[in-house]
Amino acid sequence: MTRHEMLYSMKLIRAFENALAAHPDHGFQLLSAGEEAVAVGVCAALAPQDQLLTGGRSIGFALARGLTPAEVMAELLGKSTGTNRGKGGRGHLSAPAQGFFGAHAVVAGNISIAAGVALARLMTGDPGIAVVVFGDGASGAGILHETLNIAALWRLPVLFICNNNQLSVSTPRQAVLAPKMISDLALAYGITARTFDGMQVDIVAEAVANAVQAIRSGAGPAFLEFTSCRFAAHSTAARETRSRDELQRLRLACPIMDLTAALLTTGQINHEALATMDSDVSDKVAAALNFADASPFPDAAEALSDVF
Amino acid sequence: MPPTHQRLFYREAIVRALRETMADDPRVFVMGQDVGAFGGAYREFDGLFAAFGPARVRDTPVAEAAMIGIGVGAAAAGLRPVVSITYMDFLMLGLDPLVNYAAKLSYKTGGQLHAPIVIKTTAGAKGQGVAHSQCIESWLMGVPGLKLVCPSNPADAYGLMVAALEDPGPVIFVDHKKLFPVPGDVPVARYRTPIGTAKIIRAGSDITIATYSYMTRVAHQAADLLINEGISCEVIDLRSLIPLDAALVAQSVARTKNLLTLEEGQVTCGVGSEVAAQVQRRLGPVRVHRVGALPAPVSSNPVLEAACIPNAQRLVDEIKFFINATNPECLHP
Amino acid sequence: MIYKLSVPAIAEDIEEFRVLEWHGGIGTPFNTGDMVVELETHKAIIEMRAGQAGILRVISVPDGAWCKIGVPLGLCSDSLDETLPEQTEATADMLVEFEIA
Repeated sequence: MTRHEMLYSMKLIRAFENALAAHPDHGFQLLSAGEEAVAVGVCAALAPQDQLLTGGRSIGFALARGLTPAEVMAELLGKSTGTNRGKGGRGHLSAPAQGFFGAHAVVAGNISIAAGVALARLMTGDPGIAVVVFGDGASGAGILHETLNIAALWRLPVLFICNNNQLSVSTPRQAVLAPKMISDLALAYGITARTFDGMQVDIVAEAVANAVQAIRSGAGPAFLEFTSCRFAAHSTAARETRSRDELQRLRLACPIMDLTAALLTTGQINHEALATMDSDVSDKVAAALNFADASPFPDAAEALSDVF
Repeated sequence: MPPTHQRLFYREAIVRALRETMADDPRVFVMGQDVGAFGGAYREFDGLFAAFGPARVRDTPVAEAAMIGIGVGAAAAGLRPVVSITYMDFLMLGLDPLVNYAAKLSYKTGGQLHAPIVIKTTAGAKGQGVAHSQCIESWLMGVPGLKLVCPSNPADAYGLMVAALEDPGPVIFVDHKKLFPVPGDVPVARYRTPIGTAKIIRAGSDITIATYSYMTRVAHQAADLLINEGISCEVIDLRSLIPLDAALVAQSVARTKNLLTLEEGQVTCGVGSEVAAQVQRRLGPVRVHRVGALPAPVSSNPVLEAACIPNAQRLVDEIKFFINATNPECLHP
Repeated sequence: MIYKLSVPAIAEDIEEFRVLEWHGGIGTPFNTGDMVVELETHKAIIEMRAGQAGILRVISVPDGAWCKIGVPLGLCSDSLDETLPEQTEATADMLVEFEIA
């Protein structure tokens, strides 16, 4: 993926989420402003045959993985044209045919599932790997440790990615996790593990590409921690606990602004191209909203379909 | 003519179903504690490791949540895992991936993914104490998306395991510690016992005993004793708790006019409560009496364990009380 | 003297077991400690060994067949020329030992 494409992808996520939050019937949503570089950098390094699994905060990952804004918007607004026919909704987007095995909104709930997907690939000789993204909030859960142990023991082709946005709802990571680095947790199991700046999309993409290459070559699992920053509250319905001043300061380190500045400085993009990009992004988001708004809700009888 | 049946221990019926299916279907594999060369706590995986090797018969650490989670993930990605949870008590440690993920997967993905996993576990009291004896089948009965079978004999253990291994899942297969010593005749030809079908295992006319798993034997013993008292018991082996074959129970109760439910687990919100409600929905008000463990933990102390769990004599007393009572649910303490 | 080969309740819960293999046929002599027959329960393979010398005279439950606890597996005698009884209820039990293989 070129740096242009990565910038486009991050802008699309930001614009999509802003539009979703502004939609009067959005329910409540888990947004990711500030964390776009992790989503885009991770997906830039994956091949079509890989499967990505995430936690609930998954819109950025779904879009970066190539799901169309229209099908994602429809799903998040509960429409039958959504990826999951409107039955998954927020936190459960899923499109396995497109390499997005899915989000799962139970904190830490997808970690062992990803190892199972990796086991299936190992046993069937499928060349794809499994990649699971979870937050710092999931890193205190026992299932992470159970899964790291088995993944290391069985040399599963799985990449564990902690998107450390430094907050579980309102609780700072330092208040609830003892290790100095979250990646230290994996070292005990002999898993290659490193922490990187998650606000720089180039750094994320390179780190993931290297880890993916090692896993593909049969090295067993790897663990990456990306330090990122969530610019808004836990959800569109949750109270923000940080001060306005603090938020303003945090938002200065924006992955989209940083990449834009870097591209302008090096002459890789100009203001005209940026304006075209912004207008294209906003057309795409508008079209997605129109598609979702025009789509029907599922029939009430769908409540009983796909249960067994 | 070659024999049509073979006599097998309960564990041999399970392992035969696994061996045959694993030979036919490369997607099927087993994972759990001590399932490899050791062959399982009750030897119910005997010989599989030698036949299929460590890739398809995988020993795991003691990590039930990850075992079920990894099994479910592998199932969703196209395999057919059998995860062994040694005792049903420990299923609690893996309820998150089972209930929050596997049971919802087909629904929440709009049918894109399924979890054809079999979780095999062992319930029941046999001197192992408060956290190794529980029958918590009823806990699972309110989870849409799960199936739950509890075979009482080798023939059903084979047929239900074959059915479970072919099911889109997830299926919980619950056996019982006291059933492992029991042999039985199993048809030699491959077959499946449809999940969701109960069976009348003893015909009678005065009372219907709806039960399952090891308690079917207790029901038989009590029914033998009651012949002398002039009470004829019909015994129904539910075999499957999700889906529940309430229609068969209702047909029987329509004749006997008395429904007694018998389980080894707790009566409160138990299997019997659900059977009774579903039968009443079909027949209107019927005489119902529920029998199960005392409302107490199951001790490893032999006196206390025996006091807690229903046995034939207690069941005889309960049935005589019930048959003679004008309003059993009101009179009983 | 004639003896019957009986299997008492060798382990908790065992109601019925499988005869795996007789070590010798009718007329085979054995000494104390010799394996007479291998049995299989739901848990284990159990070796039934002679606790006294004798000769195997009757096999009531052949290889692969099932036997309930308390039913004699066969008869033995001190010497080959002793006549076998019609009824075995009153016959003494042969001294045997069980070892888990």
